Amino acid sequence: MSAPGAGIEVTGLSASYGTGAPALRDVTFTAADGQAIAVLGPNGGGKTTLFRALLGELPATTGSVTVRGATAYAPQTERSRLDFPVSALDVALMGAYARTPWYRRIGAGDRALARDALARVGLADRAGARFGALSGGQRQRVLIARALVQEAGVLLLDEPFAGVDRTSEEAIMRILDELRADGRVLLIATHDVEQARGWDRVLCLAGAQIAFGPPAETLTNAVLEATYGEEIVMLDCGNRAVAIQHHSHAH
Amino acid sequence: MRTVFDKLSSVRWLTDPLALPFMQRALIATLLLAVPAGLLGTWIVLRRLAFFAHAVGTATFPGLVVAGPWGIAPPLAALGAGLGFAGLLSRMTRRGATTADAATGLLLTAALALGAILASDVYRSGAGVDRLLFGTLLGLGDGDLVLAGAVAAAALAATAALVRTWLATGFDPAGAAALGVRATRGDWLLLALLAVTVVAVLPAVGALLVSTLLVVPAATARLLARSLGALLGAAVALAALEGVAGLLLAYHLDLPPGPAIAVIGGGGFALAALASSVRTAR
Repeated sequence: MSAPGAGIEVTGLSASYGTGAPALRDVTFTAADGQAIAVLGPNGGGKTTLFRALLGELPATTGSVTVRGATAYAPQTERSRLDFPVSALDVALMGAYARTPWYRRIGAGDRALARDALARVGLADRAGARFGALSGGQRQRVLIARALVQEAGVLLLDEPFAGVDRTSEEAIMRILDELRADGRVLLIATHDVEQARGWDRVLCLAGAQIAFGPPAETLTNAVLEATYGEEIVMLDCGNRAVAIQHHSHAH
Repeated sequence: MRTVFDKLSSVRWLTDPLALPFMQRALIATLLLAVPAGLLGTWIVLRRLAFFAHAVGTATFPGLVVAGPWGIAPPLAALGAGLGFAGLLSRMTRRGATTADAATGLLLTAALALGAILASDVYRSGAGVDRLLFGTLLGLGDGDLVLAGAVAAAALAATAALVRTWLATGFDPAGAAALGVRATRGDWLLLALLAVTVVAVLPAVGALLVSTLLVVPAATARLLARSLGALLGAAVALAALEGVAGLLLAYHLDLPPGPAIAVIGGGGFALAALASSVRTAR
């Protein structure tokens, strides 16, 4: 399962909900060849807006968006309905919905693909477990498996490490590294500045693009202050920075 | 009491009532209505639309009151009133200042009050009001049965065609579109089908007891079923079982059938809740 040629090109993108002011302005970046990009910014900074524009759910008011390869979205798992009667396998199989006509059952090939995908994220033995009964990290891995079933070249992950225990965090990191090795492009929305330093590129959003580039050059104190404003706290004489998380889910 | 035990001592408690033509019609209607009620009920419960469904049912009451005097077919009048309710609800909640449940409560009360005033002071509907509010499963016409059959067929077809759309949209509203699912179209079809299912069950259980068929069996099945397929099947089976049991209870104890089905449904839910808590405790 490799994804050669997957990529994203965004030039001068602005997007808005309805007729209001743009929720996101002036975004320009490219990603290709197995790059992982951290999308860093406060709540309401435009991370979800960018994802919706990349998925084609929100039209660009200005600029252009080009995505090469099928695109999958892994939302924060606590936003899905954890009380639904669906198993981990049921959720992984949702990745095959787009290519299954309504009058057909999901094919044996796709069922095998879903089981393989669950095995790849280390959940082969939990295929029959109810999604809502899994831990946060396991649920995140099921959503990554679902993206694998979609055969997505581009994966948009919304806070994949939020509320995830240490073991699952390591497992998810390992999976994301494997996906990069496949040539897939990853966009990882995160609040965590330290986390963001680990990826190939970082894109800082606060209503507009603040910066884009390799983390070492990009994550300067000036950029972090522009991204987070009052919400940033500098530690270790400016060598480390922590963004204060407000647990509101308005986007 | 002796006569009740005598009746129960042979299968005649079952065969006697079903020899009567009006009971046969009621039985056919119950079995037909169980299909859309169970299938749609599953989505009503999963999508947390129970209060909305109850309110749509109640909102049809003024429509039913004016249908006779105005010479409109009752299903059309009911559908008009139900759609009017949905339109007003959408308008009231658009700005976000009024929450959907507050607006629903307000409109359902308004519809009930309007219907009561129309029935008592304008059209003097008299004894017919009971029938409109609680149904008349024992007095159904051919048109009611045809409507029940048509809605049952529509519910089966829509479930076959849209089960994946409804599942993905309900489970993961934020991610559904990225899965290639046409969420908005699916939601509109679900609401439209909910509206016609409400209209189809009105003659049987009335404007106030719509939830008896549309919510209670699915909510009960929800306590026991572990997969979507099992939930859909169990909701239809329970709607049929509770409907038939309520019908027989109504016949033998001379009760109105709608309320009898409601009582049986409540008992069924209590038993399922008990079984579910015992299972969890073990």
